[in-house]
Amino acid sequence: MTNFIDYFLGGISSGVIIALMALALVLVWRSTRVVNFAQLAQAMFTTFIALTVRDLTGSWLLALAAALASGLVLGVIVHFLVIRPVKRMDTSGAIIATFGVLIALEAFAGMIWGGDGKAFPPPIRNTGFEIGGRVWPFSPYDLLVVVTVIVLVLALTIVFTRTSVGLAMRASAFNPEVARLSGVRVSRMLVLGWAIAGFVGAVAGVLVAPLTTLSPTAFDVFLVFAFTAAVIGGLDSLVGAVAFGIGTGLVISLVSGYTDSSNAPVVALVLLVVNLLFKPEGVFTHHKARTV
Amino acid sequence: MSRLTSLTERLPGTRLVSHALIALVIFGLLTWINQFIDPLLSYYLATAAMYATAMFGMTILVGLSGQVSLGNGALMAVGGYIFALTSLNWQTVPILGTPWNAVWSMVFAGIGGVVFGLLIGGIAARLKGPYLAGLTLGIAVGVPAIANRFPGLLGGENGLMIQVPYPAGGYAAATGGLTDDASTDEFLGGGDEPLYEELPDDLFTDEQAVIEDDFAGDDFLSDEDFLSDDDFLSDDDFLGDDDFLSDDDFLSDDDFSTNDGFTTDDVVPEEAFDDEAFGVEGDLGSDVSAIDGLDAGFVIEQWQASVAIAVACIVGFVALNLVRGRQGRVWQAVRDDPVAAAVSGISPAGSKISAFVVSSLFAALAGAVFAQILSFVGPGAFTLGLSLSLLVGIVLGGRTSLIGAMIGAVILVWLPEFVLDVSADRGWDDQITNNAPNFLYGILVVLVVLAAPGGLVGGVQGFAKRLNRR
Repeated sequence: MTNFIDYFLGGISSGVIIALMALALVLVWRSTRVVNFAQLAQAMFTTFIALTVRDLTGSWLLALAAALASGLVLGVIVHFLVIRPVKRMDTSGAIIATFGVLIALEAFAGMIWGGDGKAFPPPIRNTGFEIGGRVWPFSPYDLLVVVTVIVLVLALTIVFTRTSVGLAMRASAFNPEVARLSGVRVSRMLVLGWAIAGFVGAVAGVLVAPLTTLSPTAFDVFLVFAFTAAVIGGLDSLVGAVAFGIGTGLVISLVSGYTDSSNAPVVALVLLVVNLLFKPEGVFTHHKARTV
Repeated sequence: MSRLTSLTERLPGTRLVSHALIALVIFGLLTWINQFIDPLLSYYLATAAMYATAMFGMTILVGLSGQVSLGNGALMAVGGYIFALTSLNWQTVPILGTPWNAVWSMVFAGIGGVVFGLLIGGIAARLKGPYLAGLTLGIAVGVPAIANRFPGLLGGENGLMIQVPYPAGGYAAATGGLTDDASTDEFLGGGDEPLYEELPDDLFTDEQAVIEDDFAGDDFLSDEDFLSDDDFLSDDDFLGDDDFLSDDDFLSDDDFSTNDGFTTDDVVPEEAFDDEAFGVEGDLGSDVSAIDGLDAGFVIEQWQASVAIAVACIVGFVALNLVRGRQGRVWQAVRDDPVAAAVSGISPAGSKISAFVVSSLFAALAGAVFAQILSFVGPGAFTLGLSLSLLVGIVLGGRTSLIGAMIGAVILVWLPEFVLDVSADRGWDDQITNNAPNFLYGILVVLVVLAAPGGLVGGVQGFAKRLNRR
């Protein structure tokens, strides 16, 4: 039983980070109906920028700020240079283009920072809390991660539900034609969606880096996890992405704990296959009518 | 051209023959070239043929059927591992009881590919666009990781080393099926001392001039040819600590003689290495030009290349018939408009699954060839990067064309070498050199998708069309 609690606690921080990554995928999907397979390559790149800033200045907060700014910019750049021109054509083209961005970004990062894994030091202690004479696998850093993600998700929720920009974004995601007729600048909302996704992805990257090592391909496996979570959540639903992101993280942590961490991608694959076979429209989907 | 087309339509079977001719000509040409180039180029040739084999499947799956898949690298892993496992573990063919050889391993790799293709295709047929791409991405990341779960059977992270099956007697047998029979016969009978007397006579039969029979069972190693357990060193055979030299045993500076002690006479004169020493050219006479370029050396790369070329040509022949036949039109119809296709009596799901099965079969065969080129299978060989390369190659060459697949395969082999050359000229450091090919791939893929969705082949065709109009 203590094993279970340990694995469960260990899965919380990775779960909330996967939730953020899934959120980034969903934000892009809602705005442009494209799954950005380069999302985590972008996050990897901005995390490397953060690491560089951290090495230069010694400040984690400055590093985070650099990652956020570059994530925002990178999201907008990818949207303007790649997705907007390609969107008119087939979906295959858009998918292939995002993989092109992934390959180029990973190689570019390798050129600048090298291919070896680099340690990203956590800003605060990453050894477990000691309660009742026992070290639990939940550290002050995990707490920081959870708090950061909660704050970010709350902020996004407020933006989407309580502001006019959020309303316009939801409108253009739900029905671009009607939104345009109602005076919403849909194309701007698309850019905004990509920018916010880049921002969210950048946060996820900086948060996850201390829990693993940072290398150009380090986030590939998280792409599978995040995609799994986003698809199970419905690919359209922010709530679904967060809920199943955490769920995926916990399942992976439990399976890794009880068996071996190399099983994690296989588990994600099984989750994905089961979901796509039995509930391909996702659990939290908004548009039942559209999928029928 | 139009006359040719009408001819092929009028006569049943003509198309099959013309496709076979195309495949045979390419096979003959590449095999002929393979005999004159040095081992490194043979290795490139083998790699390109292996890529082409896998990418013919990508043409069908991604190009014609419109299903963007990243799983083909994992399906290559399936083929490679089946090849390795069967050739390592099975001594006889089940039921038949005949000795195992590499052809059987290839057959089983192909069967494995079909089975996995059915499994994945069955799921994939229900999915479209990004869902399918994401699922196959999961397969590309997840399946090679399975090897880590079974370190006993699959070798874990270190993978499995395999013996590359090549015919006993080395090079001579390797080309035996590839050179024409006349020279082969002379080769065997011409010399006073038969050089390769340990070879069975039936190694060089007439049928071996035909492509398929290059893989006649006898070409490959039989059980006896592989090392048995006894052949390996036992622990006792290794040196103990005492066997090593102590410091005293080493020569001191004084022990060395001066330069004067070593005269040029001590060097073995070149004449010592004349043809007779190797016994090849003298025995063979001058008309075995096919192997002149190789002298006495057995070059395994050449054998690997001829295997890879043969597989690529057979697979290419099958692909050509499928793509230019009814099935090719069915795939495209479903890709362009599934509803219209269904109304015309085509099953969209069946079409998608069949594309998956065919491409899996090709990928598995390519994986088996890859295993032979590397003499190794392991998770490190079948990475997400391999799957991505296949996608890159097919997009750059031309998504819907088999020629595009071949061009893509050449690009995949050539571009890294080109980058190495440029890097040597410019003095880039390793970090940049190692990543530059992928960087170029990524940028080129985006550019091709944006500017020339038909890839290189599509671009050339479009250009030719524009010229014609003027």
